[in-house]
Amino acid sequence: MMSMKKTLVQTKANTLSDKKGTTGISKMFTKRSIKTFSLITVMSAIVLIILAPVFYMVMMSFRSRKEIMLDPLNLPSELHFSNYVKVVQDMDYLGAIINTVGITVSSIVLVALISSLAAYPLARIKNKWTNLIYIFFMLGMVIPPFAALTPLYLFIRDLGLLDSYIGLILVYTVGNLPLGVFFYTSFMKSIPRELEEAAQLDGASFIKTYWYIIFPMLKPITGTLAIFVTLSCWNDVINPLLFLTTESKLTIMPAVLRFLGTYSVDPTQLFPAAVLASLPLLCVFIVLSKQVVSGMTAGAVK
Amino acid sequence: MKLDKRLYFLIPAVLLYLAFTIYPLISGISLSMTEYAGVGEGKWVGTENYEEIFSDQRYIQVLKNTVFYAILVVVFQNGIGLVFAALLNSLPQVRNLFRTALLVPSMLSLVIAGYIWQYLYSPIGGGLNEVLAAIGLSSLQQVWLGDSNIALISVAAVHVWMFVGYSTAIFLAGYAGISSEIKEAAQLDGVSPIKAFFYIDIPLLAPAITVNITLATIGTLKSFEFPFIMTSGGPDYATMTLGLKIFTLIFQDFKYGMAAALSVVMILLVALITIVQNSYLRAREDKI
Repeated sequence: MMSMKKTLVQTKANTLSDKKGTTGISKMFTKRSIKTFSLITVMSAIVLIILAPVFYMVMMSFRSRKEIMLDPLNLPSELHFSNYVKVVQDMDYLGAIINTVGITVSSIVLVALISSLAAYPLARIKNKWTNLIYIFFMLGMVIPPFAALTPLYLFIRDLGLLDSYIGLILVYTVGNLPLGVFFYTSFMKSIPRELEEAAQLDGASFIKTYWYIIFPMLKPITGTLAIFVTLSCWNDVINPLLFLTTESKLTIMPAVLRFLGTYSVDPTQLFPAAVLASLPLLCVFIVLSKQVVSGMTAGAVK
Repeated sequence: MKLDKRLYFLIPAVLLYLAFTIYPLISGISLSMTEYAGVGEGKWVGTENYEEIFSDQRYIQVLKNTVFYAILVVVFQNGIGLVFAALLNSLPQVRNLFRTALLVPSMLSLVIAGYIWQYLYSPIGGGLNEVLAAIGLSSLQQVWLGDSNIALISVAAVHVWMFVGYSTAIFLAGYAGISSEIKEAAQLDGVSPIKAFFYIDIPLLAPAITVNITLATIGTLKSFEFPFIMTSGGPDYATMTLGLKIFTLIFQDFKYGMAAALSVVMILLVALITIVQNSYLRAREDKI
């Protein structure tokens, strides 16, 4: 520790002396900037290569079948929006998007309410029972969602909830409960109790305290949770395929899967469908990229 | 003793969790001891399903494929992600822009990425072989998904491509927690950047490494979308993974008992790997 402080003092001394000797600093500056410049160039090239398949997807989506056959690797000669028009009509794109948004929003609301409600006692009452229940929920975070799929399917079937939005929303809600409980409990532990204690002294019931004092303070973590739930619902295929049978009820990704099938080779269908299916989420990502990035890495590093 | 009324708030969560997570998990174990096609009563077969999993060559190959796939993805996704993060951390001018750009593939869904790459990999007119031809590397052209020697690696490469930005973002979050003073001090003491990376960055990034490895392991073990869309598990079972096998048992073969047994194996595998990883990685973290 002492030696580190010493080096720090030296750091300051060095930078000061550097400022006096102009030749030294300009030499260092150019050497550094060349290195930085070349590093940026290398990284830019890598980023472009990684993004190339995404550009490829967009580019291909505007090309006609004939163009692609004659010259597989080129820019579109003109923008063939007809590809898009056909896909939108053939796979009931808007219907699938509406289904996805409805199911996602319902799941977010339910997960947020149920898990924040549960987190309130878990964060505020400290005894071995609440601790045990917390661990019990955390188990759900490591169990792969695949694990209980077959029995869950049979259970939902026996409840008569197959092919209903309610069944799928329930599955998503419960699937995300452990994450919600984890997020809210750790977040709530970090906010001071004074406000809720004051509310209780004023005679507010617990439920009122929760709704008017606690829940509003959980906004930032609710946003993060919403990002996670949105990603998991939007990109999921297996649950809708399993729990919904009517084609028109499907969410976007299974709808794309049904539309294209496997071994699909028709690029004039494949690429417009791919662009259309990823566009809404990509737009959200670009607009809210800061929040999404901090949300995705939240809790990852402490 | 009076019960704290706030405990009632636990009821909805606990009930739902018991009914839709714990109950299916437990009934999955009994289901795995049966032969059940979805109608009528299941036939009790004891441990037969498990015996089949651990003796049938096909199932053994599925387990091998899954573990190999997971190792490939975990090593490359995090190795490359770590290097990217180290480079970007030293380039504050472009750090946020490039981090966002690298995350774009992970915003596509597995299904969409699977479709794009299925086409990119296709032997005739596929983007990858065309690019190789265009830059004069025709000798490197492959039947990427049709050759059983490389198909699983091709599929794993797509996984790495898609999520390397996610690993990078988590490592960058880890870097943000390392004080710049330590690095400056090392720099002034004449420690080379490479040495600093191994002796300062990596130890201090231990929590981020733990998170990244755990996320990548769970992510690969449960994914089935890529082999499903790109290869359907072929050629000759080369890309059949645990997730895809369970998927086909449910959707095509209607062998619910077998699917449940394989799910139990998957839980055990995930549990085993996470416990080993965490005890090792956390122990490393504590040492630091």
